[in-house]
Amino acid sequence: MADPLITVDLILNDVQRTFRVPPGRRLLDLIRDDAGLTGTKEGCGAGECGACTILLDGRPVPSCLVLAASCENRTVTTVEGLVHDGKPHPIQEAMVETGGVQCGFCTPGVIMTSAALLENSISDREDQGRRLAGNLCRCTGYEKIFKALEVAGDIDD
Amino acid sequence: MTDCRAPLGGSHRRPDAMAKATGQTRYVGDMALPGMLHAAIAVSDRASAKILRLDTETARALSGVETVLTATDIPGENQVGVIFPDQPLLVTDRVRMIGDRVALVAARSPEAALTAARSITPDYEDLAGVFDPEQALEQTSPAVHGTSNLLKTFQVLRGESDSDQLDADVVVEARFEVGGQDHAYLEPQACLAVPEGDRITIFASCQCPFYIQQAVARVLAIPLASVRVEQAPTGGAFGGKEDYPSEPAACAAVLAWRSRRPVRLLFPREFDLQVTTKRHPMVVNHRWGANRDGKLVFARVEAVLDGGAYAGLSTVVAERANVSAIGPYAVPNVTVRTRIAYTNNLFGGAYRGFGAPQVSFASEATMDMLAHRLGMDPVEFRRLNVVTPDDPLTCTAQTLAAPQMARLCLDRAVDDADRNQMPRRAPTSWRRGRGVSLVLYGVNLHRGGQFLDRSSAVIILQPDASVIVRVGLTEMGQGNLTAVQTVTAAALGIKPERVQVWQPDTTTVADSGPTVASRGSHASGRAVLDAVERLRKRLDPVAAEMLGCRPEEVELADSCARVSGGGQSIPVRDVAQEMVARRIETISTGWYRSKPREFDEATGMGDAYGSYAMACHVVDVAVDPDLGLVRVEHVAAAHDVGRILHRNAAEGQVEGGVVQAMGWALTEELKMDQGRLLNPSFTDYLIPTSDDAPPVTVALLEDAPGRGPFGAKGLGEPAFIPTAAAIRNAVCAALGTEVNHLPLTPPVIVKALASHHRFKNLIE
Repeated sequence: MADPLITVDLILNDVQRTFRVPPGRRLLDLIRDDAGLTGTKEGCGAGECGACTILLDGRPVPSCLVLAASCENRTVTTVEGLVHDGKPHPIQEAMVETGGVQCGFCTPGVIMTSAALLENSISDREDQGRRLAGNLCRCTGYEKIFKALEVAGDIDD
Repeated sequence: MTDCRAPLGGSHRRPDAMAKATGQTRYVGDMALPGMLHAAIAVSDRASAKILRLDTETARALSGVETVLTATDIPGENQVGVIFPDQPLLVTDRVRMIGDRVALVAARSPEAALTAARSITPDYEDLAGVFDPEQALEQTSPAVHGTSNLLKTFQVLRGESDSDQLDADVVVEARFEVGGQDHAYLEPQACLAVPEGDRITIFASCQCPFYIQQAVARVLAIPLASVRVEQAPTGGAFGGKEDYPSEPAACAAVLAWRSRRPVRLLFPREFDLQVTTKRHPMVVNHRWGANRDGKLVFARVEAVLDGGAYAGLSTVVAERANVSAIGPYAVPNVTVRTRIAYTNNLFGGAYRGFGAPQVSFASEATMDMLAHRLGMDPVEFRRLNVVTPDDPLTCTAQTLAAPQMARLCLDRAVDDADRNQMPRRAPTSWRRGRGVSLVLYGVNLHRGGQFLDRSSAVIILQPDASVIVRVGLTEMGQGNLTAVQTVTAAALGIKPERVQVWQPDTTTVADSGPTVASRGSHASGRAVLDAVERLRKRLDPVAAEMLGCRPEEVELADSCARVSGGGQSIPVRDVAQEMVARRIETISTGWYRSKPREFDEATGMGDAYGSYAMACHVVDVAVDPDLGLVRVEHVAAAHDVGRILHRNAAEGQVEGGVVQAMGWALTEELKMDQGRLLNPSFTDYLIPTSDDAPPVTVALLEDAPGRGPFGAKGLGEPAFIPTAAAIRNAVCAALGTEVNHLPLTPPVIVKALASHHRFKNLIE
């Protein structure tokens, strides 16, 4: 017998949405397959790489480790949701400007965590380094991601 | 007058960056088609065994399963060996490594495909395996293929060939055990195959669409022209998407061909780590001598690569390792012998540096050991021995065009390290040390692979003077799109954002060889310059007529055509429109091939590479003397780049290369047990995080132009090669001991501390 479906009401990128999901469905699959928002990437499926990071009620979490059914009445923001009226978020602009984007696969996750760092005014490099450590990047050596945080922090101020 | 930022050497926005930063870029995993099936591969969990019985009935009966295929279902040749035909797509009677493919599954969901693939467990009879490359070369070891595990030997013989008889004031004999590495690209292997009548399209995360085209045509037994491979946006590669992607692409292609449905194959991370190619583990034995005046007298290098179960690209890797074994030092007597052994381990493939990092680790460690035994400063010892305009020969006796760059890079990196003001991050109780390492990097393909060194470009001038560009070399994050865009814009005097470089596709350009060997900007840039030159044979006469000058007086700059030396100027757009109005051909092809070179494979003497690039890294580390932890506190990297095409892309290559090499040096241990990787996850296989990353001071030296467009030289690999040895030398300086093992994990360091073997000064 197929699993019964569970109804989940949540706010996805500022829009109230309703999804019917099996109990075991990951939030990552809801985002990518049910909502069609493929900007969020799956790099490991085990919460190790951070490519699938989204903001859940404003906090960065790996969406591969979150059950969709647990997101009732919660607010989910993905990389697509940082663009408002066609205008990218300052960290998206800064990542492009400083060269923090190479292959781009870790980029959405890095951007989500970075957006949260900026939101919480975390500007010390050591502190940023520790808090970004859940987002693996194999291309950049992180230097230009730090630079992007610096640039975006200046824009925010 | 239209303003145009001179694009060369600037840092304009990379053309692919904003789509990636806003989540719009569609990688293979983001592409889906109606009716698409999901593939999974059933693999061997034995490293060496005979297959007694292969039953796929259980898998076929599972819910959601559409197609299950074994070797007999392959329409064409059951073969995916890239150089040697030693690797079947699907094994039939014998498995040689964990991860050998036994069957393919396509199902309506990824979960159903994986479940079905896991249900396929053949009956095996285990056979003796061999897992140590040196042991594998012994006569008594079980042969992985045929009768001997020796795949090939390469040599360099220069000066006194019998250098084990040579003597010097100090002689260092050392053995280096150098570990492998996983590429750990963030996007695992991925491809999508779409059949259409008698032809097929493959979208793949890859470096080498033309390799995939050949592999797919071979397994389907169809003409090359019937296979279209479009490189999908590729989420990191580093060599791991050079040779390997042909295998998953061939799997997806066979499933698509048989099921007549689109089939997508995405590797789960654990599977990717467990079965894909790795950097070759290597054992390197040295006997090097120097005299008390500090000059090197001889160098003997014996290297064995663990090739693993299949040849793959091992011979080509060994070829580069072989001629990279001495570094940028002038040594009159050189003997290098590099052998490749088949084993039942995972097979080695391309990985950034391609054999050079392993042998460079050894040579730079030996340089430090010699300096210590001579009582000399390691930097001074290197200054005495680097190639110079008076002694400009590589170990293969090739004359360097710019040997002075070794000394310039060394001096610059040491200066930058001295000037570094970055705060020290580790506790003051940790021990500090500095290490230095140089590289002499042969840019582009070795003479043995030169037949592949050609490249194709197509440019189409649009009526609004924007330009479409197609090249055969790929973007994998390293910035090839940016480089090609920059070169095109600079050559046509237009703004970079007016140039669109579209995805490489085997139906739009001719076979351009692989995107490897730091040849992307070089080979595609030169082909673009040729295409622009050919376009201008048609454009310049039109512009000349409009300007009232001779065609040879036309120059393009600031988005205008103008009379050289000042004078009248008109927008290029007007010229483009005039060409369209006159129905003049606005499409142009370009071609590049490197010049033939002389090289004697028996002695390893001759022109191994078309040109060379130097680099020096100086690393400062702190070592926890109790726990054996290492923190890299600063890296100064000086690179001989010829000409900067795009500054922050170039810096990004160096910063990223340094950190990737730091992972190899310190934490990325492939824990192997009888051919099985014991740590196939990012929890247990540790790549550097933002918390580990050191600040990197990058110096890009433009003193010696190379052969790439506008004088550029390849940079992707030299950015990686020197770091690990510099870290090793720094750690040894901090501890006052010698460790000749990679990676330098805490247990290795603690053990070295316990042995407490001080540097020996043999001169005083």
